Amino acid sequence: MNGPLFRHTFRSNAIKLLLVGAGLALMGVIMPVMFAAFGKEVGAFVQSVPLLDQLSDFGEADFFTLSGSVAAGFTHPFTLLLLGIIAVAFPALAIAGERDKGTLEVTLSRPISRNGLLLTLFLAGLIFIGILVAVLMVSSIITTYAVGLGHELQLANTVQLWLVAWLLFAAFMSLTFAVSVGSDRAAPAFGIPATIILLSYLVWAIASIWPDVRWLGEYTVFHLVKAQETLDDGPATADVLILLGLSVVFMGIALYRFPRRDLPAPS
Amino acid sequence: MAAILTEALTKTYPGHGPAWRRSAEIRALHDLSIEVHQGEIFGFLGPNGAGKSTTIRLLLGFLHASSGSGRVLDLDIGRQSEDIRRRCGYLPGGIALYDTMTGHEQLRYLSELDGQESLLRGELIERMELSERDLRRQVRDYSRGMRQKIGIIQAFQHDPELAILDEPTEGLDPLMQRSFYELLDERKRAGRTIFLSSHILSEVERICDRVAIVRKGELVALSDIAELLRRHRRRVEIRLDGRVPRLEGVPGVSAVSVTDDILTCQLEGDPTPLVAALQGYELQDLLIEPARLEEAFMEYYAEDTSR
Repeated sequence: MNGPLFRHTFRSNAIKLLLVGAGLALMGVIMPVMFAAFGKEVGAFVQSVPLLDQLSDFGEADFFTLSGSVAAGFTHPFTLLLLGIIAVAFPALAIAGERDKGTLEVTLSRPISRNGLLLTLFLAGLIFIGILVAVLMVSSIITTYAVGLGHELQLANTVQLWLVAWLLFAAFMSLTFAVSVGSDRAAPAFGIPATIILLSYLVWAIASIWPDVRWLGEYTVFHLVKAQETLDDGPATADVLILLGLSVVFMGIALYRFPRRDLPAPS
Repeated sequence: MAAILTEALTKTYPGHGPAWRRSAEIRALHDLSIEVHQGEIFGFLGPNGAGKSTTIRLLLGFLHASSGSGRVLDLDIGRQSEDIRRRCGYLPGGIALYDTMTGHEQLRYLSELDGQESLLRGELIERMELSERDLRRQVRDYSRGMRQKIGIIQAFQHDPELAILDEPTEGLDPLMQRSFYELLDERKRAGRTIFLSSHILSEVERICDRVAIVRKGELVALSDIAELLRRHRRRVEIRLDGRVPRLEGVPGVSAVSVTDDILTCQLEGDPTPLVAALQGYELQDLLIEPARLEEAFMEYYAEDTSR
């Protein structure tokens, strides 16, 4: 771990973190408020219309329950977009982006090993994601209490949902690091993981509302989160281990590739 | 101990694309063997694509050698590159800086990464004529010359044993170039070693003790400047006043021709035999063009194109 690089990474991402954090805090407010304001009435209406009822299964969460609406905040496309800025854009820009600009060369001309640099950035990224998911979780909990539904929430399980969501986005970050260390341009380092994640999300979302292809959703990484189930009953250990394993595998690839690759002069 | 020692250092890039239309492999550097002595200023010359940057990047661990070996400050370039970078200063060609940092922040950050005290920073800032106001501005507002000044300061601020500089005077005005040459002289007097690649041959001629010339990834000359210039063929013009001297067979003299009362020839090496051969002849004028590194350099390249 390199202290100066770690501090520099925090300083240079501070504004991004604040903006994303504000967005996630807002997300944490909206979902419980919507449930408290309209959830039960809209739920009753939606359940009376079969097509709407089917569509309401979006994201493997029942929006018309408290745990479902809070859980949906963790897997909502807006949340994915915001956390994607950190989980995908950060590692893409920190390695391939800096290589593209030429600043990686200046950093690596210092007495810092490539894996030292990579692990420092990874640790910083883990902390970023951890903080941001915590902002979403804390905001959801505070709002739930504010609307008078706090007693329905199992606090221990919200912490476990934080852990699962953190591991999910850590896996995305690790995947992006694995791509980024092999790339000389920011665009493919960002585009390849973003495309994989987006396709996975689309398959999972479609599978959640289309019973005939529901089995497909089980093969996506988003299925491992099972946000509402985690809030109600705690996470499945196997899912947590798989998410952890993905991070280990992708970071293993990154740590193997980065020191071995050549870094010709930036063109 | 040599500051830099390479033995048959080679870098080859594999071809790209699928097997049925794979491009040929690229030989960026082939069998480079050089020794840079401690305390000297060593110039590394060659046109674009000759292998200068490849060599520098191999020395600093950005690239991995395909074969051969290299040592910098007696450390292995393959296995001890972190230690090498701890003891070296490096100025990349066309240095990129963090645009959102100020000059001060940039220098402080890079110094923190070095993990060493910046003994020379204040003196270098003064020498490079960067004001406090300049250093408080964000790097994105800097001109190319100012960026280069920051690049020079960051390479020298921790007083490295060896400075590796890629095109160091790019973007500097003539006054600043002079100041930079003085800096190199001072570092040399302090026992530091400078390894620089440059296109500017007059600069190399002026400041370097020895040079290596690379062409298409291969070393074609390695010599001290004086020796290189001595070996270079210079043009001689003699305006005669009477008899024509017979210069055929005079050591170092070639391509003799006489037109009207002007004798021209080429001289390689020591001029003493030519001067001795002219004894007893009446001359109006004698002109031996001074040897220039630029011509010596071009000669090496002309030899290549004539093959």
